[in-house]
Amino acid sequence: MSAQARMKPRFSANEQKWPIFLMIGLVILTFAIPPLFHHSSSAFTIYNALQNTATLGLVALGLGLTMVVGEFDLSIAGTYALGGMVAVKLGTGNPLVGILAGVGVCVVFGLIQGLIIAKLKINSMALTLGGYLVALGLTGTIGDNKSQSFSNYDIGIALNQPIATLFSIRIFIGIAVFLAVFLLMNLTNLGRGMRATGGGRRASRTAGVRVDAIVIGTFGASAGLAALGGIIQAYCTATATSNPGLFPLIFAVTACLLGGVGLAGGRGGAFGIACGALTIALLAELFSTVAAPQYVSGLFTGLLLIVVTTAASPYVIRKWRERRIDKSLKLENKVLVTSDSSSKS
Amino acid sequence: MSTVNDVIPSRFSIGGMSTGQKITILVTILFLAILIFATFTTTGFYSVQNFKAIINAASLVGIIAVGMTYIVISGNLFSLSVGTTAAVCALTFMWALRFGLVGGIVITIVFGAVVIGLQGLLVGFTGANPIIVTIAAGALQEAVAIWISGGVSVYPPDNGPSFAFLASPLFGIPFPVYVFVAAVILGEIFIKKSRFGRGLYLMGESPRAGRTAGLPITRLTTGAFVVAGVCAAIAGILIGAFNQSGTMTASGTLTVDSISAVLVGGTAVIGGRGSVVRTAIGAIVIASISDLLLLRGYSTPVQLLVLGVIVTVVVILSYLNSERAGRS
Repeated sequence: MSAQARMKPRFSANEQKWPIFLMIGLVILTFAIPPLFHHSSSAFTIYNALQNTATLGLVALGLGLTMVVGEFDLSIAGTYALGGMVAVKLGTGNPLVGILAGVGVCVVFGLIQGLIIAKLKINSMALTLGGYLVALGLTGTIGDNKSQSFSNYDIGIALNQPIATLFSIRIFIGIAVFLAVFLLMNLTNLGRGMRATGGGRRASRTAGVRVDAIVIGTFGASAGLAALGGIIQAYCTATATSNPGLFPLIFAVTACLLGGVGLAGGRGGAFGIACGALTIALLAELFSTVAAPQYVSGLFTGLLLIVVTTAASPYVIRKWRERRIDKSLKLENKVLVTSDSSSKS
Repeated sequence: MSTVNDVIPSRFSIGGMSTGQKITILVTILFLAILIFATFTTTGFYSVQNFKAIINAASLVGIIAVGMTYIVISGNLFSLSVGTTAAVCALTFMWALRFGLVGGIVITIVFGAVVIGLQGLLVGFTGANPIIVTIAAGALQEAVAIWISGGVSVYPPDNGPSFAFLASPLFGIPFPVYVFVAAVILGEIFIKKSRFGRGLYLMGESPRAGRTAGLPITRLTTGAFVVAGVCAAIAGILIGAFNQSGTMTASGTLTVDSISAVLVGGTAVIGGRGSVVRTAIGAIVIASISDLLLLRGYSTPVQLLVLGVIVTVVVILSYLNSERAGRS
């Protein structure tokens, strides 16, 4: 293989394949389980799941990008709320102004966090906890400590209007953002630089990767994506909430881990995160379809997050690798023994 | 073969002033400056009644923060669900009062220790991310609590034992303050003088070195979380006694307040350095600032904003002074 061919980004090398199988499995379950409880799923169930993926999925995408570079943005639950609140306050006359203001404020917020993390080499979880509180405080201050309604209902109706039963403008926006990030990460050097940064910072720096710029930019993108998710949610529900709690963060972390993004950095991408987000959105729809109480969904979400976090833990990964090495060694020995006996005969 | 006792010094001698000490001094100076400013400019701040209110507010957060200090010093960052556990423990205490006051207290403390201890076991054994594990555990606890309680407040049983003294003043000082002081003294002695405590410092300072030295990482991590569980349960009992009921909304900002108290006290967020006494100072600082903002008419979000700025500044200061900041 030529050097040029080796350098060409390959989807198969960048993304895990199992998230898509998991998502397909959930689609099957979404239609197979409700009849057992005398309920049924429809195209509307998928539409709802896609609608949620188009907003909370963007938060997951933002968090996932920081995880790929080996960091973790706890503040996304704050920027999700802040973006929505700024947009609702400033976008009544012109929703686009609200979007630009909401995303702009949060991108600056994220860039500042990224700058501190990259330059001072601070643990991102510790710093973004402070960022989360600041963003939440700003949201509450702007919104007078209560939910703020958005008087421009037309934009919400337009964004939610079903197109071809399964889609809407909101879903198309989500798909477009995921696609843009996917292409950026797979067709440009940016994705390779991000994964290299997450894989090993010192080696990446030596190899000429602009590590600091990547980390700063990723935190800016993370905050911007979370804000966009919050803005779309606020416009579609005509309400900006001053404190969404930790739910957006729980959704995002679970989606990333189910989407094959490693906590140690260097692994994962937009496609896997989209699959992970859709998997959880489908799970939520499944519970909603069978009319399960709210706590059942919370119970499963908590359990699922514990399971996937444990599966992504260093101990489980080490054990899994050891098993794979043992298997390949056994296979190698088998081949050697077979070839040895055939040469003797 | 060297044993754990051989490799852990009885006392950590840090040359000159440590990062935590510098931050504590800085925060104390800042606190004193704010206090002086507040005394002259805020009506009602400088009064015995208000100081009692500050100490009372600091005590509940402080008790939880004592346990959180153990987690932070062990190098496992922090728990994002101790406030939820405290609220769940308030519910448990109300239910468990049917077994008498002592029975109720013991059941609640064991419950809190098991719930948070299990999270520590998972983190210690598998090396799973403590933040995500505790977020998930918080969601799980909330769901189970709503499932069992039906989402409504839990009240003590009729003809149950009296627990009013847990929320009443003793010699003019609220009872939780005594518990807070006792928790700080016991917590400080336990972490500084016991083999377990010294193990936590060593593990937090360098997990790799600790592992090489034969430290029981799983046991130490579980132990740190168990202490946090006991503290959250005690706080839950006091919250339940004060409200005379148990409700999930009681968790409020307890988690972030307790983390802030630990960090503001100067305990290093990367572990290995800090003390329970510093956390107590941190809890009083946080309570004073919240009280000051409240008296000056600022809303809860402004308090949250100020808390966020303080946490951010303290984390930055902590890293600027840390010798172990180099990570790249």
